[in-house]
Amino acid sequence: MTQSPTLSRRASSAAPQPRTSRRRGADARAGYTFLLPWLLGFIALTVGPMISSLYLSFTNYNLFDAPKWIGLDNYTTLLQDERFLQSVGVTLQYVVFGTPLKLAAALAIAMLLNSKRKGQGFYRSAFYAPSLIGASVSIAIVWKAMFGDSGPVDQGLSFFGINLGGWVGNPNMTMGMMILLTVWQFGAPMVIFLAGLKQIPADLYEAASMDGAGPVRKFINITWPMLSPVIFFNLLMETIHAFQIFASAYIISNGEGGPAGSTLFYTLYLYLRGFSDFRMGYASAMAWLLVIAVGIITLIFFKTSKSWVHYSGDSK
Amino acid sequence: MIDRRKFLTTVALGTASAAFLSACGQSSSSGQTGSADKPVTITYTWWGNDDRAERTRKAIALFETKNPDIKVNGNFSDFAGYWQKRATEAAGGGLPDVMQWDLSYLRDYGQRNQLLDLGTVKINTDGFDKSLLPSGQIKGKTFGIPTSTNAFAVYYDPAKLASLGIAEPDGSWNYKEFNAFLAEVGQKGNGTLFGGTDYTSVWWNFNIWLRQNNIKAFTDEGKLGFSKDDLKKWWNLSADLRGTGAIVGEDKTTQLLPKSPFGSNVTATEVTWDNFMAGYLADSGAKELKLVPVPSDDPDNLGLFLKPSMLMVASAKTKYKDAAARFIDFMVNDPEVGQIFKTSRGVPASKTQRDGTTFEGTDKLVVDYEKSIEKYLKDAPEPPIVGFGTLESTFKRVSSDLNYGKLTIDGAADAWFKEAEDLIKQNA
Repeated sequence: MTQSPTLSRRASSAAPQPRTSRRRGADARAGYTFLLPWLLGFIALTVGPMISSLYLSFTNYNLFDAPKWIGLDNYTTLLQDERFLQSVGVTLQYVVFGTPLKLAAALAIAMLLNSKRKGQGFYRSAFYAPSLIGASVSIAIVWKAMFGDSGPVDQGLSFFGINLGGWVGNPNMTMGMMILLTVWQFGAPMVIFLAGLKQIPADLYEAASMDGAGPVRKFINITWPMLSPVIFFNLLMETIHAFQIFASAYIISNGEGGPAGSTLFYTLYLYLRGFSDFRMGYASAMAWLLVIAVGIITLIFFKTSKSWVHYSGDSK
Repeated sequence: MIDRRKFLTTVALGTASAAFLSACGQSSSSGQTGSADKPVTITYTWWGNDDRAERTRKAIALFETKNPDIKVNGNFSDFAGYWQKRATEAAGGGLPDVMQWDLSYLRDYGQRNQLLDLGTVKINTDGFDKSLLPSGQIKGKTFGIPTSTNAFAVYYDPAKLASLGIAEPDGSWNYKEFNAFLAEVGQKGNGTLFGGTDYTSVWWNFNIWLRQNNIKAFTDEGKLGFSKDDLKKWWNLSADLRGTGAIVGEDKTTQLLPKSPFGSNVTATEVTWDNFMAGYLADSGAKELKLVPVPSDDPDNLGLFLKPSMLMVASAKTKYKDAAARFIDFMVNDPEVGQIFKTSRGVPASKTQRDGTTFEGTDKLVVDYEKSIEKYLKDAPEPPIVGFGTLESTFKRVSSDLNYGKLTIDGAADAWFKEAEDLIKQNA
């Protein structure tokens, strides 16, 4: 959603520079013709539903009867809804801890894989695999079994004298489990980091070595600034992605957000309100608050990015 | 990448509006019919475990042999997911032709014109108890036909009690005695076998307790008939048991889902509907399970009643009204269907089906149990209000928070009442 303005901007700026004005008109026509299927889909499947959802968010709508206009009631009720506030808390916790940890894991593995060794292709695929299957339903089920009472995790920890019992039924542990599940799916950002690392000229490192810089110094002064556009991209995408977590939470908590509301993620609560309680207006209001919140966070990211993201060729 | 990330938000927004956009035309014809060469296909959906799926498939096969002009396409899911699917389908105008239904959701869909008025099609209801049929009716229209009846009971596993050296209960007990019994099992079970689940976490159990105290759950105007203090009193009944061996912890229960602790051999007793017998036997592998009445502080008023354990309904938009009616008639009346399901749906409601079924072993226990409580039975409770399904699941959730120690009894009562009042206001 938040990407769509970027997309269309990219689409228009990608058009080749005109040589003559007649040529420009023909090019534009061809361009838009090729864009048409996407545009139609975008309008019918995204813009249309979004507009009607905006309307529904101001109504009391139970799926069966005609929507009843109630103004801002849904929004004001939301702010007093304890379960809503709980879902915001749970989701923020997940985003704030899960995303940086996942990116750190992705970057660390990418740096390990960046050195030239035999069988690099195999390792790359092996580390990428979890993110291919990680979002699937079956993995959430496997995860649930692994973290249950006397599951492999419980038994493994007991071997070292740590007796936590099953994580799945313990409200204090489920968040840790969900974060581990997302960290484990570091493959997608890892591949992007890896591509970014390959772009850093080797002579920078050579020069640094000559001057006696150690690995930490090289990371702080070369890798980090050179990689900052890629880090920024990954941070943004993963943050947005984390806000939208649904499937794994749904499976692990049997669609209820339990135990004791500890996996009541925002989208899960939205879903429950919409499809279990038939309160589509309320659910639509929640969806719009999420869109606005993610939009604001994206904006903040872009604003602050100027101070720490360096593009090559920048004068800074 | 962008598509994947956008997917969820789009789905959330999109499904809501799909409902809005799809103004479905009503068909007014009496329904298409098929022939043996060109059979019509109707869809049927139900909730339940593998055991029920197996039995339902047998019943469908039998129906298709007897009615070569109709094919039945069956589909099932667990109870919680079942209602989310129906809501989505109703929004899109695509409910299955025939559905297994629960009393809790009859008003939600019936009052909103989603269900077929079965009074307009041919279904034989001669064999039904006249006091039972109204439970499927709203304002003179018949939206559901009960397949069977069930009643609340305390299950116990005699073998487990014997191994702990505990005498079998006879079911004449008050809450104090029942608590003492659970505590004894918990103590002797020593962490491997628990007394039961928290019996105060189930709405229907609360409803029975209210009836024992002559309080109505809902008023005729669709408001709550009990007070916050009543609810607090109820949750206080098992306060001393929570966190002890008498009640299995929520952390365990959560992990066993979708199986129940009783079906998983973690508890020695369970308080629930008597038609769960077949499911529990299949899940636990126990040789024998027995049923006794629920506790009551008034020995003459057990608050018990017969409820339609499930109903058969048809979609208001079905194109095959005749075929749907014939399938429903078959499912509720045919004696051979009774032989297939025995008491796994409850005790058959139709006399023709009940008389044509032989009940042996554990099935006989269920039938005998319902006979044994006959003198205590009172009228079925007030018809649940619109949105009752949500109230029921909220009751369970709040009780679960209570057992986790995340809420106090006062906090739990506040949370439930807030949700209930909000819901009643929404649907007013």
